[in-house]
Amino acid sequence: MKYTIWFAFAAMVAVAQPAAQPAQPAKPAAPVKAPAPRAIPRMADGHPDLEGIWQPRTSGAAYSILPHQGGFFLGGGSDTGVVEGGVLPYQPWAMEIVKDLTQHMEFDPTGHCHYEGIPHANYFGFQFFQTPTHIAVLYENMHARRIIYMTGSHPSDYLAWMGDSRGRWEGDTLVVDVANNNDKSVYDMAGHFHSDAEHVVERYNMVDHDNINWEATIDDPKVFTRPWKMKFPLRRAPKDNEIMESGCFEGERDAVHLVEGLAIIPADHYKQ
Amino acid sequence: MRHTRTVFLCAALIAAPVFLHAQGGPAAAPGAAAKSAEFVPPRTADGKPDLQGVWETRNAAAFDITEITEGHEIPYRPEALEKEQKGPRVDPIAHCAMPGVPRITYMPYPIQIMQRPGYVIFMYEYLHDQRIVPTNTGPTNPAREHLDGVDFWLGDSLGRWEGDTLVVDVTNLDERSWLDSARHTHSDALHVVERYSRTGPNTIRYEATIEDPKMYTRPWKIVMPLHLNKEAGFELREQECTEGDDGRPIHPPYRPAPHGDVFEFPRKYPSTQGASK
Repeated sequence: MKYTIWFAFAAMVAVAQPAAQPAQPAKPAAPVKAPAPRAIPRMADGHPDLEGIWQPRTSGAAYSILPHQGGFFLGGGSDTGVVEGGVLPYQPWAMEIVKDLTQHMEFDPTGHCHYEGIPHANYFGFQFFQTPTHIAVLYENMHARRIIYMTGSHPSDYLAWMGDSRGRWEGDTLVVDVANNNDKSVYDMAGHFHSDAEHVVERYNMVDHDNINWEATIDDPKVFTRPWKMKFPLRRAPKDNEIMESGCFEGERDAVHLVEGLAIIPADHYKQ
Repeated sequence: MRHTRTVFLCAALIAAPVFLHAQGGPAAAPGAAAKSAEFVPPRTADGKPDLQGVWETRNAAAFDITEITEGHEIPYRPEALEKEQKGPRVDPIAHCAMPGVPRITYMPYPIQIMQRPGYVIFMYEYLHDQRIVPTNTGPTNPAREHLDGVDFWLGDSLGRWEGDTLVVDVTNLDERSWLDSARHTHSDALHVVERYSRTGPNTIRYEATIEDPKMYTRPWKIVMPLHLNKEAGFELREQECTEGDDGRPIHPPYRPAPHGDVFEFPRKYPSTQGASK
């Protein structure tokens, strides 16, 4: 148990670092007053070219997607959070579980080096590589990755931390339908969760060369009473930035707690 | 589906040594090199050889790199060999560490290569590893040099095109990674130069020169083909190490998991959906 707490603490610090900078402004980012926004770059097929590194401005969503005070899990505060209306429409049974999970940050799977899932992964910087048929999204945090296929449909035999992403264009907006999500990923460190019925529709609306308005509509009839929306802006990273390696698992010796998570281990297991 | 693929890969692993033996192992490689002179690779819009697609290795080098090593022998320094034998006995990938370079390439999982102007992107199914290789680097165009004072499990990769071959210079590799499950190791001085060249419609010749003056008496080479996966609709899937599912047959943890699915939240959904609506 001691190790679990230490690890949870270490994870907290580790997650705090990438999010510390975007978390500073307590209000949504003011519009950038650039002299003249550069035009939307375009692919040969006329669709916006999203390629590049993008930095989200998430108001500390990694700590809580709802409004929260500074110092909440070491994070900066946010008066607004990223959820539209500032309320998550939980079903009553789910609300009870969230109350409990908020007190047990050690359940946070990202503390066990798991994928964050969508939308959680988008709280951290990522790089787009774009072709007409597929768009690779390479996240720095947890060396997470997904490929948004512009073709095909969701597989029927598959659940994944990062789900399965299928994209399409609506004007200058990339709409990504994310299904096949497992029920293990969470929205933040505050215990906000979903089930495997979660369905996320993301919209990447490119405003100009350096700005994308991102929003996601999240529907999960097992956990919520209605669909709800999350949104924050993405800004293009400075030109010399690079996505680096984030290992997370680096020869951890406390493998029992990490690999087994918080599974209930039979009392006689170690005697075998 | 997932399990079908794992089974297939395992079968391939078992079959591969026999097949390679029949072919004479890496000795067959020069033939492939000669072929590359004849084969004209397809090209991307910017005129570079097109390496894109999902590729697979069909050998057992993940278990023992000497299978694809030229001469089947690693030129250890005696003192390095002694150090290796006294070193850690547990493969770092059993702890879900990234396998390092070149090991990530011959892990028995598919690799998707994507190309964009100025970049080659390697997306490995294994442990959702990834490498973003800039291709505008090298002596003729030192756009970026290797980083100083920082190590990565997958190193720092700088690429360049030499004719129709993609050359990737990899340094800054974490000294803890192993070259295979047979505990062939290296030091922090490891320097890998990888070469990717198309040798046919369905093959890439992969060659890596492995240099580590602290460990080996001379640079040595591994050579193997990468095979194009032509299964219709094949897409990379998620491989997560810490769950103990897909990764388990390849590198079992210290003890079996008590349950099939070891990472569970203490939450239960209502048995009747929407009962509390």
